[in-house]
Amino acid sequence: MKLIGFPLLVFLNLLSAPAAAAAIRPHYGGILHVQMESAVSSLDPLDSDQGDTLVADNVFGLMFDTLVRLNDRGEPQPALASSWQVEASNQRWEFTLRPGTRFSDATPLTPEVVAACLRRANPSWRVLPGETTVVIQLDAASPDLPSQLALPRNSIAKWDGAKAVGTGPFVVIQWDPGKKLVVSARDDYWDSRPFLDSIEIDMGRSFRDANIAYDLGQAQVIEIPAELAQHASQARQARESEPVELLALLFAHDIQSPEDAKQRQALALSIDRNLLNRVILQGGGEPAGGLLPDWLTGYGFLFPASANLTRAQQLRAEVPQTTLWNLGLDGSDPLMRLLAERIILNASDAGLRLQLANQRTPDIRLIRVPLLSLDAHVALSQINRDLGIPPPKFLDNSVDGLYHAESAILHSERVIPLLHLRKAWAVSKSVSNWEDARDGAWRLSDVWLAAGKP
Amino acid sequence: MPIAVAFARAACLFLLALPPASMARAGDWQTPASQLAQKIAAIAGPGAVSMTVLNRSSLTPDEVEKIQNALLRELASFGVQPVASDQAAATVAVSLSENVHSYLWVAEIHQGTSEPVVAMVTVAGRPAGAGERPSAPLTIQPSLLWSDENRILDVAVMNGNPPTMIVLESEKIALLRWDKGGWQPEQALSVAHVRPWPRDLRGRIILSKDHLFDAYLPGVYCRSTATSPLSVACDDSDDPWPLTGNQRDLSAFFSAARNFFTGALSPGIRKNTAAPPFFSAAPLPRDQYTLWVFAAVDGHLHLLDGLTDQALTEQSWGSDIASVRSRCGLGWQILATSNEPGPTDEVRAFEIPDREPVPVSSPAKFEGRITALWPESDSTSVIAVSHSSATDHYEAYRLSIACVP
Repeated sequence: MKLIGFPLLVFLNLLSAPAAAAAIRPHYGGILHVQMESAVSSLDPLDSDQGDTLVADNVFGLMFDTLVRLNDRGEPQPALASSWQVEASNQRWEFTLRPGTRFSDATPLTPEVVAACLRRANPSWRVLPGETTVVIQLDAASPDLPSQLALPRNSIAKWDGAKAVGTGPFVVIQWDPGKKLVVSARDDYWDSRPFLDSIEIDMGRSFRDANIAYDLGQAQVIEIPAELAQHASQARQARESEPVELLALLFAHDIQSPEDAKQRQALALSIDRNLLNRVILQGGGEPAGGLLPDWLTGYGFLFPASANLTRAQQLRAEVPQTTLWNLGLDGSDPLMRLLAERIILNASDAGLRLQLANQRTPDIRLIRVPLLSLDAHVALSQINRDLGIPPPKFLDNSVDGLYHAESAILHSERVIPLLHLRKAWAVSKSVSNWEDARDGAWRLSDVWLAAGKP
Repeated sequence: MPIAVAFARAACLFLLALPPASMARAGDWQTPASQLAQKIAAIAGPGAVSMTVLNRSSLTPDEVEKIQNALLRELASFGVQPVASDQAAATVAVSLSENVHSYLWVAEIHQGTSEPVVAMVTVAGRPAGAGERPSAPLTIQPSLLWSDENRILDVAVMNGNPPTMIVLESEKIALLRWDKGGWQPEQALSVAHVRPWPRDLRGRIILSKDHLFDAYLPGVYCRSTATSPLSVACDDSDDPWPLTGNQRDLSAFFSAARNFFTGALSPGIRKNTAAPPFFSAAPLPRDQYTLWVFAAVDGHLHLLDGLTDQALTEQSWGSDIASVRSRCGLGWQILATSNEPGPTDEVRAFEIPDREPVPVSSPAKFEGRITALWPESDSTSVIAVSHSSATDHYEAYRLSIACVP
C-alpha cells in the first residue's frame, strides 16, 4: 500500500521557499536542475514504450521541433514550416520549410530529411520533398493535418547512427537512458537562444529524494505525483496543469452480447469516481464521464460521471449469470493498484464480479492515457490510437461533430472513463517565467533563473 | 487552385485611448442566441417548453441574464413559448460553457422518456478582466496607441499633418497615418537580419531630422530614407543606442546576443565612461549636472553623476525605467516598472531629491507585463509596451504625467 501520509508531510517542506525572485527582465545563463520520478528510456520521439508519455514529450521538445506548433487555444502556428497551403479537398498539403534552419550538428534542414522523418512516423502518408517544400498527399481529407504535425511523434529528427539529432533549442550533452539527461542551449537556435545555459534532468528519483534535493537547493523543479497535485496547488510555488491524463477501464473486446453490454453499463454506473478522486487521488484529478476533459471541449458535463448504484444493481439483476472479469493494471504503480482495489469493491456492491489478475490478456485493463494535443479532434484520435480502438468518425470539424464522435465511442462500451489527472511540478521561486501550460507542456526556452549570470 | 492558409500575422488592431479591458469583451449575444434558439426549435418544435440556464463559464451574472433574455426572445420568434416545467411538452437545459477556443452554449432537449437531444453553438470571444486606473496628486496618464499580436518593440509618433506613427516589431517597421479618426496602415518595411534574434527582443525607434528615423535592434541598425516612397536599409552593426529620444545625448552599446546594454557608454558621463551592464537608463537633469540612473542587470540601481557610482540595493524597481519631463514636482520624474512577480505590471513615477528614490504617484496598472519602456523624443512622455495576459496582444501606450494641484 502506498504511504500517502509521508509525501504529504514532506510536501509541506515545499512551503518553506527561498526568497521571492524579482519580476525583472529575463536573465540569460544558469543551469536548471530538474528531478522527477518519471523516466525517459529513449530519445526517439517515435519510441512508444516511454512510461509517462507527457513527460517524455516534454523532454523531446527540448531537442526537437515539429513543422507546426499549437498555441494555447489549440491553433496551429508556424514552426519549422513557415507557411503552408492546402488544396480544397484537404488531401494535398504543401509545407514551406523555414529557410536557414539547421540541426544541432550544423547541417541544414532539408525537405528530404523532413520527408523521411514524416514517412517513418506515418507509413501510410505519401510525403514528397520539393525544392524548399514538403508535400503530404493523403488518401482521405484531413483538415486537421497541421495539428497532427504538431504531435511530438512527428518531431523532425536526423539520425546519426543510433543518435537522433534535432533542430530544437537544446542539444544533448549527456544521456544516460532512464537516469540522466543534460542538454545545453544552442546559440544558433532559429527561434532565439533559450535564456538558460543548460538543463540537467535526473529521472527515476522518488518524490522523497527529489523533495530533499529541492529543499537543499539542488533541484529547482521536481515532479509531484498526481495524488499530491491538489496539495501542490495550495503551495505558491507548485504549478499544475489542467487535468490532462485520462484514467479509464478498457475492455479487451467489443460487446459480446446484450448481457455483456448491461454488465458493462452496470460497472460504469457502480464506480464512485468522486470517492476515487477525493480519497485516493486527494483531489488530484476530476471525475470523468467523457474521454476528453471538459476544459478542452466545453461539453464534458454532458457525459455523466456520478455513480448510480441503484441503477447498476437493476442492470445487474437483468443478467442471469454474471461474468468473472479479470482486471489488469498498466505498470507496477501502487496508486493504480489502490484505484483498482476500490473499483473492485464498487463493482462488488453492484453484484458484479471483478478480480485483479496478472495475466497478460486481462478482460479489462486500468490504463492511463495522456492528452497529446490541444486540438480536441486530434486529441480524441490519439486517445483512440492509444486505446487500440478504431479511430473516431467525425461528421465535420465542428464541436458538434466532435461530440457525436466521442458519444459514439462511449456508446460502444469499450472504454469507461474514470478520472482526468493533473500534472504537477514544484517550481522554486528562483525559476522565473515558468508557464503553466494547460496541457502540462514545458516551455523551458522562456524560463530563466534569477541567480543566473548575464 | 490551392487555398492559401494565411499565416502572416493578422492585421493590427487599431485602438486609441481605450482601456484594455474593453477590447476582448464579447458583447453580441443576439446572433448566437438566435442560432441556438433555431436549433432548439428545430428539435422541440413550436409549443410550450420549460427552460433552465446554467452558467458553467466565466461569464458574469449580468451577461448570463442578457443571454437568457435573448434566448427567450429568439425562442418566442420561432414559436417556442416558455412555461413552467409542469406545463411543458419539453424541457430545455441550456449550459453556458467554454473551451480553449471560445464560449460553447449547449442545449439538452428532453422530450418524454427518450434520450435527450443535444444542440450546441460556439460563440467567439473571451472575456477580459477590467483594468483600473489610479488617481493621485501626480497621476500617470496612459493612452493606448496601438495593439498588435506581434511583439511591439517601440513606437514613435510624428506630429505632422497628418500625424504619422512608426511601430517597430521584430520583423517589420509599420508606418501608419492618422486618417478618418484612426491610425491607418500605410506601409510595412522589412527588418533584414541574418542571425536569429535573441529572446526577450528589444529595439528602439529614434526620429531623425535629416531622414525619417533610425531603428536599433540587437546587432542591427536600420536607417530610413528621407522621402517617399520610404525604404529602410538594415545592416549588422554594433553602433551604440541612444539612451534618450535624442541621438545627441548619451548612447550605450547593446549586446548583440542578449537583452541588455553591456555598460560601455558613448561618450560617457564626464569621468564615468562605463556603467555596470544594465537593462535601461534614465537621466535626471540637475542644476549643475545630470544624474544618470541605471537599472542594472544585477538587480540594483546605479546612480552615476559623472564622478561617482552609487549602488542602491534595496528598492522596488523593475528592469525598465525612463525619465519624463513634466511641470510637476521637481520637473523631472523617473517612471519605473515594478519588481513584483505576477502576470500584471505597474509603472510608478519617482523623484530622487537626494540619493533615494521617492514615489510621487500612484502606480498605473497594466493587465500584462511591461516589455518595453522608452522615452519619447521630446522627453515629455514615455512609450510603454504591455503584453496583455487577457488578450495575448502587445499594447503600446503613451504615458504622460498630469499634475493635480
